[in-house]
Amino acid sequence: MIRIRRGHQVYQQVCASCHSMSLISFRDLVGVAYTEEETKTMAAEIEVVDGPNDEGEMFTRPGKLSDRFPQPYANEAAARFANGGAYPPDLSLITKARHNGQNYVFALLTGYHDPPAGVTIREGLHYNPYFPGGAIAMPKMLIDGALEYEDGTPATEAQMGKDVVTFLSWAAEPEMEERKLMGFKWIFLLSLALLQAAYYRRLRWSVLKSRRLVLDVVN
Amino acid sequence: MADEEPVDQKKYLEDGCKPKCVKQLRSYEACVKRIQGDESGHKHCTGQYFDYWSCVDKCVSSFICLEPQFG
Repeated sequence: MIRIRRGHQVYQQVCASCHSMSLISFRDLVGVAYTEEETKTMAAEIEVVDGPNDEGEMFTRPGKLSDRFPQPYANEAAARFANGGAYPPDLSLITKARHNGQNYVFALLTGYHDPPAGVTIREGLHYNPYFPGGAIAMPKMLIDGALEYEDGTPATEAQMGKDVVTFLSWAAEPEMEERKLMGFKWIFLLSLALLQAAYYRRLRWSVLKSRRLVLDVVN
Repeated sequence: MADEEPVDQKKYLEDGCKPKCVKQLRSYEACVKRIQGDESGHKHCTGQYFDYWSCVDKCVSSFICLEPQFG
């Protein structure tokens, strides 16, 4: 839980300027990463367009728990324009949307290295061996000390990487722990039921399976 | 804070793993030397580079394992 909280701080301070998470609402954080009051205060810091009011006009108001996370750009075209043609993907489901998502995102974020000899990347792109094709538009964002965690944990690259991946995995699959517990429980119970059913079937069929048939000559 | 600079854990593990992957590193360096004079721009050492870094990654991951739960 504390990791999800730290991960959200990383998202908010490092990633949210370019990446939307349009499927997550502030209320999803309550009880998981923050208390209700903390989340309300956080939501109230953003302005949301709402309306129309009685006069038919749209108005802005401070955010509420029920609002979605704010989008950095109005639409995809604006996002592409601001990022040299590349669209920073929405991160709500990113760990599910990439093969081996958790490890992939962590490796990508912490894996910026110099390109190998002979490989040149054009201006505006950066080399990342984990990105298909090697040339990614996002520069290295996780730098030691890039932000100060609320709880004072030292903000190293690996720490931020792990926290933000935990946050993104939670955002993509908040039900994961409950789902897996249910899975263990029901697979166990159903295998007991299978053994019992198998025994019962063999018990009932034993009458027929132990029959003896004799072919004899009719005189 | 008066603490010394926190050392990035992953870099620290990667540095510790470099000795394990010397063979790949040497073959990468040999490749770099081989293509040094190349003007065509088609030659590159991505293969050896990937071999080296996947060796380092495997070694680093043997020290850490990302827990499946939301710790």
